[in-house]
Amino acid sequence: MHQFDRAFRFVLPAAAVAVLATVLSVGWFTQPDRFAKGYAPEQPIPFSHELHAGTLRMQCQYCHSGVDKSRHAGIPSVDLCMGCHKVTKVDSPAIKKLAQIADSGAPLPWQRIHTLPDHVFFDHRPHVNAGIACQSCHGEVQTMKVVTREMGMRMGNCLACHRDPHAALPPGSKITKGAENCAACHR
Amino acid sequence: MKTRLPDHGPVEAPKFWRTLEERIESPEARQAAHDEFLPGAVPASFDDVHGLPAGSGFSRRDFFGLVGAAAAVAATVACDRKGQGTVVPYTKRPVEVTPGVANYYASATHEGRRVYPVLVKTREGRPIHITGNDEHPGVKGKTSPRTLADVLRLYDPDRLRAPKAGGRTIGWAEAEGQLQSALRSAKSSGKAVLLVSGAVVSPSRKALLADLKAALPTLEHLAYEPAAGDAAEESAKASFGQPVDLQPKLDKAKVILSLGADFLSGEDPEALAAWGAKRKLKHAKEEINRLWALEGPLTLTGTNADQRFPVAPSRLAAVAFALAKDLASKGVSLPAGADLSAISAQSEVPAKAWSNLVKDLQHAGQHAVVLCGAQMPAEAHQAAHLLNAMLGSVAVAARPAEALATVKDLETAAKAMAEGRYAAAIFWDVNPAYTFPKASAWKEAVAKVPFKAWIGQVEDETSAQCQVLFPENHWLESWGDFSTPEAAVLQQPTVGTLYDTRQGEDLLLGAIKAFGATSADDYHAYLKARWQKSLPLATSFEQALHDGLAKGEEKAASPAFKGASVAAAAKSAAAAKAQDLELVLFPGFATHDGRHANNSWLQETPDPISKMTWDNPVAVSVQDAQALGIQEGDLVSLSLDGATLTLPAVIQPGQAKGVLALALGYGRSTGGVAKGVGVNAYPLLGLDPASANVRKGARLARTGARKELSRTQSHHRMEGRDIVRSLTMDEFEHHPQGHHHVPELVSLYEDQKFPDHKWGMVIDLAACTGCSACVVACQSENNVPVVGPEQVARGREMHWIRIDRYYEGELENPKVVHQPMLCQHCDNAPCENVCPVNATNHSPDGLNQMAYNRCVGTRYCANNCPYKVRRFNFLEYTSYKTEPETLAHNPEVTVRPRGVMEKCSFCVQRINDVKIRAKGDGRAILDGEITTACMAGCPSDAIVFGDLKDPKSKVSQLVAASRAYRVLEEVGAKPAITYLADLKNPAGEAIVGGSHAH
Repeated sequence: MHQFDRAFRFVLPAAAVAVLATVLSVGWFTQPDRFAKGYAPEQPIPFSHELHAGTLRMQCQYCHSGVDKSRHAGIPSVDLCMGCHKVTKVDSPAIKKLAQIADSGAPLPWQRIHTLPDHVFFDHRPHVNAGIACQSCHGEVQTMKVVTREMGMRMGNCLACHRDPHAALPPGSKITKGAENCAACHR
Repeated sequence: MKTRLPDHGPVEAPKFWRTLEERIESPEARQAAHDEFLPGAVPASFDDVHGLPAGSGFSRRDFFGLVGAAAAVAATVACDRKGQGTVVPYTKRPVEVTPGVANYYASATHEGRRVYPVLVKTREGRPIHITGNDEHPGVKGKTSPRTLADVLRLYDPDRLRAPKAGGRTIGWAEAEGQLQSALRSAKSSGKAVLLVSGAVVSPSRKALLADLKAALPTLEHLAYEPAAGDAAEESAKASFGQPVDLQPKLDKAKVILSLGADFLSGEDPEALAAWGAKRKLKHAKEEINRLWALEGPLTLTGTNADQRFPVAPSRLAAVAFALAKDLASKGVSLPAGADLSAISAQSEVPAKAWSNLVKDLQHAGQHAVVLCGAQMPAEAHQAAHLLNAMLGSVAVAARPAEALATVKDLETAAKAMAEGRYAAAIFWDVNPAYTFPKASAWKEAVAKVPFKAWIGQVEDETSAQCQVLFPENHWLESWGDFSTPEAAVLQQPTVGTLYDTRQGEDLLLGAIKAFGATSADDYHAYLKARWQKSLPLATSFEQALHDGLAKGEEKAASPAFKGASVAAAAKSAAAAKAQDLELVLFPGFATHDGRHANNSWLQETPDPISKMTWDNPVAVSVQDAQALGIQEGDLVSLSLDGATLTLPAVIQPGQAKGVLALALGYGRSTGGVAKGVGVNAYPLLGLDPASANVRKGARLARTGARKELSRTQSHHRMEGRDIVRSLTMDEFEHHPQGHHHVPELVSLYEDQKFPDHKWGMVIDLAACTGCSACVVACQSENNVPVVGPEQVARGREMHWIRIDRYYEGELENPKVVHQPMLCQHCDNAPCENVCPVNATNHSPDGLNQMAYNRCVGTRYCANNCPYKVRRFNFLEYTSYKTEPETLAHNPEVTVRPRGVMEKCSFCVQRINDVKIRAKGDGRAILDGEITTACMAGCPSDAIVFGDLKDPKSKVSQLVAASRAYRVLEEVGAKPAITYLADLKNPAGEAIVGGSHAH
């Protein structure tokens, strides 16, 4: 009897707590947006999307020009920045730094904010060409002084939209579903 | 696995067989057929997995303890959301580069006299994949397996990265200064300078060498190609009075006779394509060619022949002259001066087949062609030239070529060096210290030359004998041009130099300028200036570079055959007696003359016939093996003329009695990959150019020791079921499906639904020669890892596509069928429903997809695959690699880690790319727009890929062909790959002459 008593008093509750803890922690670790809110590292150049994309209303594609041609949207090359900044705001310390990089040919390492695991081959082209706004995944970038990650970019995020894409698609789009097979993204 | 050949009488044997073990049904082979993984492939213990010494005391419990701790650490680390890494854009973006989008550049390379116009795929400025240039009228988008693999040599970590002198790294200025002062002092003292290089097929390089000769009149140049076959060179001089390049034009050939020629090896994609085009028959009334092969060792060409007879190479000439004599007696006129009176009747080919052969050649007339293997004795070449002249063959074109030095010329040079004739020697992209038969004599001779310079990529045997080493560009970093019969082709760099290297031409230009001769600033300018003068006005140099072609080269007249040369050759051929044992030395399939020995892709590509990897065993005929008591894998000592090699033996069905065959290009003493792989066979090469590669009087003896062979032919056996089909023309006409009937198949599974596309493939076994270009193309495209000889011996090779080679019939002269085997993408895939984690499943467009990140490595799928095409990463094969090796990876394909299963994906990255492009353009996918890497690499277009849902697609039409069958259809897996049965066209079924003859 003593053995059962101990089992009921201690082992069972401990096991229940352990199971619950496991479920909760796994749930927490795997929640789609766990990484999302607020990753906003300091960048080598304090580039403001709020100013460029918001106030000045520059097209996203002006700088991220690969987005409809390539898998990668691409980070603009330094000489593209200098296209305007040869004459614009040349006295700002950040632009001076930029100009120096452009002259010396040194690399400019931006902090990566949106990243996917190596086994994911996300392709920007079909999404942009279907008329899905950049903001659907990247948040309201045009209001961000410092770009902040707003979506976890887990497989759940992808599948939620692929199963019911109408919210992200422009009105009138004929697309009703996105691909759900493995090889669409993993290969 | 010991194999004893049957001692007596015929044995009950399976119809098709791949190894001697299978043929005699040894118990080991039977067991191997039952198990998916070879003994040794599956790790026996924890120690084995982790490479620990056996019995290290590391228990399963320890293991789980560590795993638990590791998991805890991993979970903690995973909580850290900092550090997503950096992303570095271009500072100045090159206009043509969009990150993520591939660029293609036309360029070219050469191997000996053969030129390969290519298209190079680059990503973010680095070359990652090579195919043939589809705009070149000759090669039409095809190239050779070795050219496909040559992209890896660019990223060889062993490359010399800066000039060196006396073991110390120096600057270019100092190195060039040393060379120029040595050349200047040679000129002023009037002493000779020796320059040894490879074949000169480039008009601009030729002009540059002429310029150098003008500036330095004492220059002596030797162009040496150890694999070109000195006998071919000697015989051309005898038959045509000048060096010629013989190019088969098999589109015009109805009957082809091969005298030990291996034109279907993939080395000559043009010949392979032309041959294959006449084998892909839709119905039996179409015209097919016929290939006769007389050869000693079994070559790929021999395996594809309709009629093949083993003939010792030393007897080939006598047999071929006897053929000429018989043809002459049947009224085919002999050229003036050709005297065949010394020739008597041959006994190698049975009388009936012989008369068929004579008849075939006579009927086909100018549409018959005789091709002779480069390594065969000079008399055999002359006999082939004579036969072609008699028949008036239009299926071979003779083009005047630049002379090549023979081994004799090298011997003369060595003597002159020893006598102190040369003040300086330059070795440019050649390795005579390794390829010259008498290496120690060469070394002593070179030591007598005061100044020695070496130009090359990876330090080798020759560089060890030189004072100043100049690191050379890879051809993908170089400018150049080559002449081909159809058009001149241009070579342009597809990447900036990875290291502080220059191309050899620039070095010579520097020397020319140092002599005060005015010349261009660099070789690019030199080349451009030459072409701007000779290009048609409408074509700019840039346009020619873009196309890779510069048309408008003048065509040289074909040299005429000299009949008088025949008498001497015939006399010496008649005197030649087959003598036990004769050794044939041929360029290695993987290594060629040794220059590719450091390329691991090639080393691991199984030899198309022996299926050996990472080694060059001596091949012994079945009869000789029996007489000498040799078993497969026995270490034997092979001695000839005082040189002795110890190496493993393999028994080669179909090889002529009394003939030994051994590949050159192995046994290198430098190079991270090449060093110690196989044995160096060059010491056995003869010094008589007329028969340098065919040596008589070899002796073979067992040493008693054995070596484990890294051979893939016995792996992945498929239990002797109906897997390959081969039809004669008669069977093709009357019973293309033979006695096979597909049973009514009932499936418990619901049929798969394919709403838009269903990708499928058709492989025509009649056009597949087994050249293995597909294997290399797949390796390059899909980041397939290399595992090394020890892992291959355990059955752990990773190739997604393999070529199964089946023998049929007699051991002494079997028929052979080659079958490419890859994932069949079955509708009811047996692998899919045993995966416990659903890592492999079906896509809505018919792909059997494999999610690596989901795979937990149970290997159930491989066990359940009837085609044995799944490969498991038993160890970490790739991810420990660093730059520059990783630069060769295709960024569109995952690099797989240890513990996951992988297999052919039908190049899903290419499918997805085309799909997305088509969608972006708002159009449907065109038939033929998606090419898999194997299909694009296949020289004979035996592989066709496309949409089975589109009734008009090429693949849909081929699926309905009468020769079509699916492998193991009775299993009910519904494979997406259809094979077309092989065709053999033996004599006796008239296809030649009659209404077809022109």
